[in-house]
This record gives sequence, structure tokens and C-alpha cells, in this order.
Amino acid sequence: MDWKQLWEIASAPDNVPIVALIPLLAFYIYLAWKQAHDNDLLIAQLEGDAALAKTHHRKTWPFQPGWQKEVHVWPFLLRIEFLAAIIVTIILMIWSITLNAPLEEPANPNLTMNPAKAPWYFLGLQEMLVYFDPWIAGVVMPTLIIIGLMVIPYVDTNPLGSGYYTWKQRKFAIGTFLFGFIVLWVAMIIIGTFIRGPGWQWFWPGQTWDHNRLIYEVNRDLPDLFGITSNWVKTIFGAAVVGGFYAVGGMGLHAYFRRSNPKDYKRMSFLQYSLMQFFVLTMLALPIKMLLRLLFHIKYVWITPWFNV
Amino acid sequence: MPEKPVPENDPLVQKSMATWFVVAMVVLMASLFWALWDEGFGQRPWKTYQGEWKQRYGAFLKTARSASAQSEKDVEGNPDYQKLKQDYEQANQQAAPRMKEINDELRVLSAKILAVQNVFTDRRAYVNALTYDIETTTGASSKQSKLKDLEKYKAQTAVVEYPDGSKVPYTYPQLEETYNDLKAQRTSLSSRLGDVIKPVSDLKAALDAYVSEHMVDLKPAQIRGLVDKTEALDPKILQINVADANIVDRCESCHMGIREPLKLTAAAMSLKGKAPDNYARAFTSHPEPDLLKVHDPEKFGCSPCHQGNGRATTSVEKAHGNYEHWLWPLFPKPNVEAGCQTCHAADMVLVSGDVGWTLTQGKDLFRQRGCTGCHRFEGYDRESEDLNSIAQQIKQMEQEKKDNLKQASYLMKQADSAQTNQEANRLNDRAVALRVGNSKLDLRIVQLDRTTKSLLQDVKKVGPNLKDVRLKLNRNWIPVWLKKPTDFRPMTRMPNFRLNDEQVQAIAAYLWQSALPDPPVTHKPGNAGRGKELFETRGCLGCHSIGEGDQMEGGTFAANLTRVGEKANYDYLVRWVHNARQRTRPYCIYEKKDIGPEDYAKKGLPFVFDLQHSKCPNDGHELQVQNMTVMPSLRLTEQDAADVASYLVTLKKKEPGSYPDAAFMDDPKLKDEGKKWIRHFGCAGCHEISGLEDEGRIGTELTFEGSKPIERLDFALLTEMAQRGDGEPITDPDDRWRLPEGPAKGPWYSHLGFFEHKLAEPNVWDQGKIKSETEKLRMPNLHLAPEQIRALTTFLMGSQESGLPPSYQYLPLDYRRDIQEGWWVVKKYNCMGCHQFIPSQPTALMGMKHYQDMQEQLPPKLLTEGARVNPQWLLRFLSNPALNDTDTDRNGVRSYLQVRMPTFSFSENELGKLVRFFAALSRQPFPYIPEPGTTLTAKETDMARGLFSSTAAPCLKCHQTGDAEHDRHATAPNFLLARDRLKPDWVERWIIDPQAISPGTAMPSGLFKRENNRWVFSGPTPPAFQGYDKDHTRLLVDYIFQLTPEEQHRVAGAMGRTQSSSNRNFPPARSARGIAREHASVSGGGAQ
Repeated sequence: MDWKQLWEIASAPDNVPIVALIPLLAFYIYLAWKQAHDNDLLIAQLEGDAALAKTHHRKTWPFQPGWQKEVHVWPFLLRIEFLAAIIVTIILMIWSITLNAPLEEPANPNLTMNPAKAPWYFLGLQEMLVYFDPWIAGVVMPTLIIIGLMVIPYVDTNPLGSGYYTWKQRKFAIGTFLFGFIVLWVAMIIIGTFIRGPGWQWFWPGQTWDHNRLIYEVNRDLPDLFGITSNWVKTIFGAAVVGGFYAVGGMGLHAYFRRSNPKDYKRMSFLQYSLMQFFVLTMLALPIKMLLRLLFHIKYVWITPWFNV
Repeated sequence: MPEKPVPENDPLVQKSMATWFVVAMVVLMASLFWALWDEGFGQRPWKTYQGEWKQRYGAFLKTARSASAQSEKDVEGNPDYQKLKQDYEQANQQAAPRMKEINDELRVLSAKILAVQNVFTDRRAYVNALTYDIETTTGASSKQSKLKDLEKYKAQTAVVEYPDGSKVPYTYPQLEETYNDLKAQRTSLSSRLGDVIKPVSDLKAALDAYVSEHMVDLKPAQIRGLVDKTEALDPKILQINVADANIVDRCESCHMGIREPLKLTAAAMSLKGKAPDNYARAFTSHPEPDLLKVHDPEKFGCSPCHQGNGRATTSVEKAHGNYEHWLWPLFPKPNVEAGCQTCHAADMVLVSGDVGWTLTQGKDLFRQRGCTGCHRFEGYDRESEDLNSIAQQIKQMEQEKKDNLKQASYLMKQADSAQTNQEANRLNDRAVALRVGNSKLDLRIVQLDRTTKSLLQDVKKVGPNLKDVRLKLNRNWIPVWLKKPTDFRPMTRMPNFRLNDEQVQAIAAYLWQSALPDPPVTHKPGNAGRGKELFETRGCLGCHSIGEGDQMEGGTFAANLTRVGEKANYDYLVRWVHNARQRTRPYCIYEKKDIGPEDYAKKGLPFVFDLQHSKCPNDGHELQVQNMTVMPSLRLTEQDAADVASYLVTLKKKEPGSYPDAAFMDDPKLKDEGKKWIRHFGCAGCHEISGLEDEGRIGTELTFEGSKPIERLDFALLTEMAQRGDGEPITDPDDRWRLPEGPAKGPWYSHLGFFEHKLAEPNVWDQGKIKSETEKLRMPNLHLAPEQIRALTTFLMGSQESGLPPSYQYLPLDYRRDIQEGWWVVKKYNCMGCHQFIPSQPTALMGMKHYQDMQEQLPPKLLTEGARVNPQWLLRFLSNPALNDTDTDRNGVRSYLQVRMPTFSFSENELGKLVRFFAALSRQPFPYIPEPGTTLTAKETDMARGLFSSTAAPCLKCHQTGDAEHDRHATAPNFLLARDRLKPDWVERWIIDPQAISPGTAMPSGLFKRENNRWVFSGPTPPAFQGYDKDHTRLLVDYIFQLTPEEQHRVAGAMGRTQSSSNRNFPPARSARGIAREHASVSGGGAQ
């Protein structure tokens, strides 16, 4: 275990936000889950009691008899926010005193740094470049991310869970969010920071980043595994596999969604439903492709003269 | 209903957050103050430095001032000073009443002027405003009326009240006149005052000048100025900003003492009774102020020489650039001279005081150790590159000539069928022009051939010519040597190549089989005893050494000859000692072959080749007719050479025959294998090897190695070790001791670390690697000593692509370029092994026991050679130091010296460079046009002869006369050489004070003294000098320059008669000191 290597990565001023991100993310997920859990208990209690269900609209914790149903923003909210503002100011001040901007030497066009890493918030995108063509990882995927985020309010037909933490009432939405944010975004940033070393090779945490390291790795395309040689057949084969993924995955998702969220399903139009299907399946496709690559050394699934997936 | 117990109050509403707020606010305020402190001091550590400086320097100045006051008092006690002071006071007293008078007048006048001025300026302002109004008024009538107003105003009177109380009314014109009058009076009074003061202030200036001339340190007044400056110091960033070169250096914000006029040491800047701390070390003054005079900090800043981050002020590490992302960290102290190399890459000798010796050594090593054999470095080993480019040019021109001829005949043909006469003429002219162009090209080719001839003479190889191994070497010795050269000769320049036995055998076999088969010319054995004496006295030891370890004596420039008898053949040694440049066969660089007698025979030519017969019999181009060695000819006779060689073959530790038989060397199967390895290891970079004459360099170019990105330096598997400082990879004690800074204690991932480790153990980066024989690092182990590694590292670190504008690079075009170029030649032939060029520079001969009691037998110092000799003569002398075409077994000038000035066979090119070098070094105008000498009258000749043969300074006692009996004891050159050889101005300076020109010379000083603005002889002057009011020195010089052999003979004869008795008492080799004492007593007597 090379602790020095680990410390070098963790202590680089560039990586401070990422190191902080890990405990903070865990803490806030825990906090949100705790509140959602309490609320879910309360909701179950309220819904189990017809009388209470009629009189008590305030569904968030803490709920005790005798308390005000609502409290004023000033001072009760603002004083907490002000305290938070002070604490954040302190953190920023101390941060800026103790850690200088991680400036490096003037760029040398004759010498590429190794590993050359994007700013931390783009490391996820950079990691995708390992698995997809630059055009797909750099243009199509980010566009889909933005469009997908914009689409959410239009496909979300669940009226519950607005204004308070809950898990039971929004399992699908929160699950999808956690998958997208933690697995597809944060995890990839962490991989990019801690795992990817010189030559963008995979180094486990604590492994020395040796610039001279050589590894033997042959990546193949999926059609090659099936002995397909003709380019056209490869295109058609790949299209069939990708199409198959969407078809089979779509049916599976359909079965699951109709059973677990029947009310939402009924409320959704065909357009809303198919958009939701498309984005969820595309999200799922990313880790599948990553695993295919990392575990089975499969480079591309669908090869066409214009793009590769 | 909830099961939990009911709380009394809603915590959201009721809970107080005051504690939280108090804590948060306290922390916020604390971090605010932290931020303020950080802004004021944390980020500005130089403020603390400046505070410390003020305190320590102030204290230092106080002690300096009292010391200075004391020494000022000492100076003031001097009678000369007292007299000056008296004069000054007297003049002051004399001038005082007159000064007082004028000053009183001035005071009255000034008061008057002030009174008038008050009224006048007020009225003038009104007049000016009104005038402007009139100028800008457009209407003619209103202009008229305003003019009238102005006139009226000017006519009004105003009252001036003078200081004495009188009141005088003036109109405006009167006022103006009065005012100007008064001012004119004041001016004339002031100039009168100046006249009165001038003699006084002149005396005062003389007084001050006396003090500053006689005080070594600063005057108390100057120190007071420094104290005031230090006390008034406010913390601020001190920076040098040179916009042209993009230099912003704030170094002096902490290094406050660097340019102070006092010498500040770390000890002096320490707190009382404490060891020097970081502050004390930072406050020292620049150790070489002379360097700062040449490199004015206002123009150069600090970082162009020292590197580091001149802009950074936040911490010592940042400012010194000692952090990961600054590419030009401060050169460490031991390697500080690397900074010189960044601009002075073209200088071979860079010395100023104590600075520059390391770098100069590095440059020498780079050249002498044959680094250029494998690594290209701009400017080094230029000749071989120039030869290639000239061959290219010649080829091109020959092609151009052919094309021109073709074009010309085409044009002629066209002219024949031209429509008009005019057109035909035009075409014809063009054809003619082309033919003329061809003849120009021909001349150019002739010129280039000449240059080729020079270059072929100049191009040298570091190692010996291996085409001669059959003639030269003991066959069985070769593989033993190749295995590990240092085992045979620890000081050798030949590095250890880490060859395995197969490689050794193959290489030895190729060398043996490819060598020239010519049989040696046999010689009779000589007298080894006489050879030893010749070897020790003729100057061989200026370059070669003999003896090992503590016993070693001589120069390190060439091979140590302690065991030469084990390896070399006698017959070859005779040839080599007689003339090392003599080749077995000439080499044609165009045909790429060694030309033998058969080639000459084909053309019916005798097999004669030397510098005069250097044309190839086959193609007419220049041949390489010399061995490419710098070893000169000492002009020994054949017999002497045989004696020396006989002595050399006796130098051995074991018998040549005792080497194990190496029969494999004749195995033809090994030949190809051997050639492969020779090519692989780049042997032809240093040696001339048959079949590999055109091999290129196998190493990387090093011209800009110091600025190569660190990522491009391959630390291989040791990268992590170097970055983290996990120990020292070099474990072999043979190599470990070579590290200049000892085994690594911290991280060494830097250029410095790379170079030092590479030079200490060149294959260190192979550690842990699995490589085949051909993949292994090829760089041989140069078995360098730690200080040599430091010198080379310094050289390489400074070899950078400079970011400074070209005007900052040292690329002079004037006499300084001659100096630059000359040093290359001087260093190339190791002139400094025998001659002193720089006052403190040691020579190899100087340190030898042999010369300890015979300083006058040392070769002359060349400190002022350019001023001393006529360049025309120097040219002749350098090309033939015997100054004689037939009798060459002698020194041309100093035949009394046993050590021989060798014949170097300099090319035209190098002769020119050397002559210009000496002239430039002494700042002599070039070319030299001698003054026409003055012809002495008979009377003057008599007088001069009197001086020349004076018993107080008998010149001919030491100087040679051509009389063999006399010359045996002489220790100075013959006067008859002077006319052609010397410059009269220099001779005059020389006879006045030879010690100042060549310290330690046997020529006595004090022969002349200064009297009434001229030089007169110190000894008793002959009566004829009565009334002679010119320089005695000049007279003597003129006489010497007109001296004829007959005259000299006469004088010598006359002297011989008077002094024959005393002459016999002299021991054969008198010490210089003895003579100086003799002269001293003479001059002492003269002075009384």
C-alpha cells in the first residue's frame, strides 16, 4: 500500500473539493434519508388515521401537538440561513488563506502532461472518453444530459412528495436521481481523480503511479467476438444489439414501472412515457458499456462508418 | 397520537441560537484577523527581513563608522593632509571678509527684489489677462477701446515699499525695468561670489580627494549617508524592472545588502554572539562585486544569472523557484556558475576573481574527455561539422558549374538562331556572364579548398589513431586495456565501457585486423638515461604526467606514461616522439580511403605527403596528412627522439611479454562482430578507425540540455525513488564516492540530480531493467572525481535555451570575439600547461619539483604578450618557434631555456586566431603599425651605451649575446631580436617595472625613478647625461631597437673585460632572487 501516493493525490489543492465531496455526499444522503424515513412513518400514521388525515396537512417532522403548524420565515428560517452563511464564509476564508490556487508552469506545447486531467467537475465527461468516441462522449452525451434534466418536470406526473423529504412516495424519481448523480457523475469523478494515473491507466488506490508501467490489454469489438468480418454485417449486427437492448430493457422497465407506479403510469401520456423510457435506458447503457469494457475488454458494440458505440 | 412524550415548546421557535452565533462570529472574526495578518505579513515575509535588516545593518554601520572615523583620523594625521588643510584654512580666511561683504550686498538686494516683485507680478498678471482679452476680441471698435484701457492701466503708478521704508511710485514700464535691473545686479554679484569661493572650494575638493584616495574603507561621511538611508527605510518591495528583457526581480526586497558598498559577511550580519542565521546569510553583500560592475544589476537584474522566480515574494521557496512548477530554480551554490553559461556558452575561459573556475573546468572536461565524440554541442568540435558542410558546398558549386556551362551553350545556340542582332547580342552577353560566373565559382572553390586544408589541420580526435595499432601496440595488451582501461592507467581519459569478454574480443579483433599493415621503420636503441633527462626537461610534463597516486608529476592534459612501456612498440614511439603528427598513410576524405604508395605510383608520384604536399594524387582534393592529435613536435633530433623512446619503453610495471596471448585477434570471424560493437559504442567519435571515418555521433545533443523538460530526462525505474528521495541508487562504492554531494539524502528529481547520477554511474538508469546487450545504456563510465562531476554538471545545467533577448547573449563582434575564439585554440593545445595567461593561473610545470629552484627556467608568462610583441613576428614565431628553417633543434627566442616551445603546425586559421587573440587580450589595435624609430645622434648613442653597459645595471650580464660561452649562463633573450619582436612602448614599461608585468621575473625593478616628470636612471649616471632632460628609458629603448650585432659584440667585449673576474664566480644557474638582490642594492645605492 503506497500511502504516500494516496496522500499526494488526496492533498493536491486541485482535489480538495473531491475529497470533501465524499463525506459531504454521504452525510447529506444520510440526512435526507433520515428525514424521509421519519416522514414516511408519519405519513403512514396519518394515512392510517382518517381523522388526522383530514386535519393535519403539515406532513413534515417535527410534528407535536401544541406546536405551531407554520413558523415565520423571519426569524426562524433566516437565522439558520445566516448562521450557515457565516460558517460557509469561515470555511472559504480559511480555505483561501491556507491553499493557494494550484497554478502550474507555463504550458509547453511540446510536452503534454501525463496524466492530463480535466478540471474536477469535468472528470466524469473525460472518463466517458475511455468508453465512447469523442464525438459521442463529448457532444451527444452532454447534450442528452442537459435535455434529460430539462425533460424531468415534463415527464414527472407524480404530484406527491413536494416540499418535504420522502422515499416511499417518490421511489422511482429518487432512485433514478441517485443512480444518475452518484453512479454516473460522482463515481466517475472519483475514478478520474483517484484511479486514473499516468497513461490514463487504471491504478487502484494505493498503487504507485509508475510512469514506466506497461500493461497488456487487447480490446476487441463485440462483432469480432462473433467472428463477423464484413463491415456492413457489423453495422447491422451492432444496430440489432443496441436495438435489442432498448427493446428488451424497455419491456423490463415497462413491466417494473407498471407494477410499482401504476398511478403515474396511468397519468402519463405516450410521449411522456417513451421519453422517460429512452432516458432511463440510455442512463443504464452507460455503466453497462463501462463494465463490458473494463471486465470483458469490449471496445465497441455497434460499429458504423460514421460513429461507433 | 404520538407515543413520544410531549415537549413543552417547539424547539424550532423556542431554542436559542445565541451560542451558535457567538461561536460562529468569534471564529469568523478570528479568521478575519488571520486573513488581515496573512495579507500584511504572512504573504509578505520580506517585511520581516527588512525589519531585521534595519536593526542589524544599523548596528553594523555603527561599528563600521567608528572604525572608519579612526582610519580617517590616521589619514588626517598625515603631514600631506595637514598641509592641504592649512592651505585650505588659509584660503578660507583670506576669502572670508570679501565673501561676507558680497553676501551682505546680496541679502539687501534680494529683499529689494522681493519688494518689487510683489507689486510687479500682480500688475503683470493684470496686463497679461487684458492683453489676452484684446487678442481674442473680434470687433474693431471694442478692441480699440480695450487697448486704450490697457494703456491707461500701464500709465497708472503703483507704490513699491522698500525694506528700508522708502516708498517709490512706478508706472508699469518703469516697474518692469527696475525689476530686471535688480535681477541683473544679483546675477553679477553671484558670479563675483563664485570667483571668490572657487579657490577655496578647489582646495576643499583636493582635501576630500586626499582622504578618499588614502582611505581603503568608506569615509565616515559616506557611512553616515548609509545610516540615514537605513533609518529612513520604509518596508516596501524593491524591484529591478527591465521591460526589454521581461525581467522583474524583487530579490533585493530581502537581500538588502547585496549592492551595499561595504563588504557584508554572514558573520558580521549575525546577532551578537549568535551563529549566522537565515537573515544573516540573506544580508551578505555580493561576493564578487566586480561581476556586478560588468553586469549592471539595473540592466541584468538577478534572475538571468541566478535563476529562481524573481517576481515571487510570498516565501523563500517561491522566490528561489524551489518548487515543482517553477522550471528555472535557483542554481545551487556549488553550481552557481551555471548562470554564466546561459549567456557565455561560446567562451572557453570565464574567470573573474574566484568565480568561473568550476565552469571553465567543466568546459575543459567536456572537450578533453571527448564528450563531443558522442554528443553534439554547439561550438564544440566545429571542425568536423565545417568540413562536412564545405564538402557539401564544393559539390554544389561543381554541379552549378556544370549547369552554367550547359545553360551557356544553350544560350549560344539560341543566339545563333535569334531574329535580330540585338537579341543575339543579349543572349550572347548572358552566356558570357555565365562563363564569368563559373570562373568566380572556381576561385571560390580554391578558397574553400584552402579552408579545407586549414580545417583538416585543425580537426583533432580526442583518442589516438587506431589505424596504427599494429605499428604501435603490444597485441596482447589491447584486450586487457579494453576490458577496463582504468585498471591499467587510473587517470586515463579513456572511459570504461563495461564490455563483456565477447565484446572485448570482437572489438580488439576488428581493430587489429582493420589496422594499416605497413611495416614499422626500425630504429637503433637510444640512451635511456639521456632520454629521461630530455623527457623531464623538454616540457613533456606540461601535458603528460608520470608516476601514480602521490608520486604523480606533470600535467593532466595528456596520458600518464607510467606504464607506457608495457603497451607501446619502441619504433613507433620514436616516430611519435619525433613528430606525433606523422601519419602512416594520408587519408582522402572524398574517396574515403587511406592513400598508399600504390596510389601515388599510379600517377608516377613519390610517396611523399606533408603539409606542403597535401593534394590527393587521385582527385586533387586536400588530404588528411597529419595524425589528428594535438600533440606537437618538440623539434627533437632523431637521436633525441630515440633516446626519449628508449626511456619510455623502460616505464613498465610488468613485462610486455607477460600479457596472456590473444590469438583470437587474428580470427577473421570476429571482425564483423567487432565492427558492429565499435559502431554501437561510438568508438569512432574519439578515435580514427579504419572503415568508420564517417560515423556520426551516437549520443543526444546537449546544447540545451539544461532546459530540457525534466520529463524528458529518463530516470527509468528510479523515477519514484528520485522524486521521493528514498535513498541512493548508486551502491557500488567505486561510483558512489563520485557523487559531489554524497549519497542522496532527499529528493533528487532534478536536472542536477540527473546529471550528477548519470556522470557518477552512467548506467544507473539500467538498474532493475531487463535489457539486451544492445539496449543497455551505452554511455561509458568516465571515472570522474566529484569536483569534475560538479564542474560538468554546472556546465550542463547552464546550457539552456535562454529566454533573454539576443542582445543579452555574449556574442561580441569586436576584439572580444578574438578573445573568445583565441581561448578555444589556447585550450585546445593546452598552452596553459606551460604558460601563464591569467595572473593567478597555475601551470603544470610550475608545480613541479624540478622548477622549484629554477624559476627562471619556466616558460615565459604571457600576461601581456599582445602588448609585448609585434604580431607579424608572433605569427612567424608561432608557425616556427625555432625562428630558423634549418637549425630547428632549439628555441628561437629563449635558447637558454631547456624546455622547448613546440611546433604545433597551426593552420593559417588558428595562427590568425592566436595572433588576434593576444592583441585583443592586451587591447592592442589590430593590425599593428609600428612607429618609425627615432635615430639617435652619436652623443645620444654614447649616453645610451653608457646606460646599457652601466655597472649598476649590466644588461648583457643576463641577456644572451650569441656568444656560446656567455649564453650558457644567460637567463634572458638576445637584444638583437628586439627590433622585430617587441613593441617599443611595452619595452619602456618593462624596463621601468617588470614585476608589474610579469611577477617573479628575474628582470629587476627599480632601475629607473621618476624625477621632474621624466624617468631617470637610478644608478650613477655617466657625466654625459649632464643637461639631458629627456626620458632615460626612452633613450635606452631607442638604443636597444637600433642595436647591431657589432655594437653588441663591442659592448659585451668591453664588459667582459671589466667583469670577467666576477663572472667566473657565478654558479652556472643563478637564482632569480640572487640577481634581484644584486640589482636592489644597486638601485638602493642610486637612490641615495
